[in-house]
Amino acid sequence: MTPQPEILHYAVTVVGKDRPGIVAAITGGLFNLGCNIADSSCTMLGGEFAMILIVSLKRPFSKARLIEELKPVCDQIGMSLGVRTLHPDEIVRQESDGEICMISVYGADQPGIVYRVTKELATRTINITDLNTKLIGTAEEPVYVLMLEVALPEGETPESVEQTLAALKKELHVEIGVRVITPVAF
Amino acid sequence: MPVQPILRYPHPVLKKLCNRVEKIDVSIQALVQDLVDTMHEGPGSVGVAASQIGVTLRVCVVDVSKNRHGKENNHGLLCMINPEITGRSGSATMREGCMSVPDYTGDVDRATEITLQYRDPDGTVHLITASGFEAVAIQHEMDHLDGVLFLDRVTSIKTGLFRRKNY
Repeated sequence: MTPQPEILHYAVTVVGKDRPGIVAAITGGLFNLGCNIADSSCTMLGGEFAMILIVSLKRPFSKARLIEELKPVCDQIGMSLGVRTLHPDEIVRQESDGEICMISVYGADQPGIVYRVTKELATRTINITDLNTKLIGTAEEPVYVLMLEVALPEGETPESVEQTLAALKKELHVEIGVRVITPVAF
Repeated sequence: MPVQPILRYPHPVLKKLCNRVEKIDVSIQALVQDLVDTMHEGPGSVGVAASQIGVTLRVCVVDVSKNRHGKENNHGLLCMINPEITGRSGSATMREGCMSVPDYTGDVDRATEITLQYRDPDGTVHLITASGFEAVAIQHEMDHLDGVLFLDRVTSIKTGLFRRKNY
């Protein structure tokens, strides 16, 4: 029998209209519960503020208890709440030996840019580690910007990825650039 | 000469302002040798500052000649005592990591060209101009002498998700 883990992990997502005080309200609730915030990423998307947090707690604890504490806080400031229990396998940090690359894609807005690019990457088992998109430009001339950070599997190079995406670049009339951003060790 | 363990934050020495070396003697030469040995021990390491091995003196070593970013443009092994940057120009962003702050990386802006003055272990004064990756490495190591970590200079909060491949 596998022993039950002593520390429980949950993925907490909170999304709602941006205003000052959201982070303080949510993290206050977590603090009251004795929760640790492990990894987190919070950002503005349009007029929304979106929080994704991996939180950990010592047993005994339950997802219900977490929701019971956070739900009233979220309701009060008009945020939606999501909580998911993480399996111990999900907590382990994924490691990569390949190059880390930034892929920038931009051009006239049109449906399918994200889908077409990421589908191409998926077929080559290139893992996306970060992605963000932004609609810029004017109403008359909307421009779409897609930025991806990816981890290359063995055998792939920035050049091979660029080549893979070359056809798409032509077809969608977008600019696509790939550059290595693998951290430098000091 | 012994390879020294690299101190990791939150070791307090890493945030200390290091003292100038007043006299270059055998103990300083031994320190330099320890730094060189420690640097060579970490595969891929391109520099070590004295504070990283617990010595609060303004001494650091840099060697980017074996690194893919630096092999075309470098001064070989630099053993620097009391280094001082006297000029800097240009700016470029690079994602940095540090042996003293494992598992974290961040984008840092650094000058692309620097002029610096330092003494070598024989006491000879050198005035050099470094550029590109070597300049970045020197600035990173010299920051250690002021108790500054790359975390103090991160300009983008996008953090590296992956553990560093090598030190």
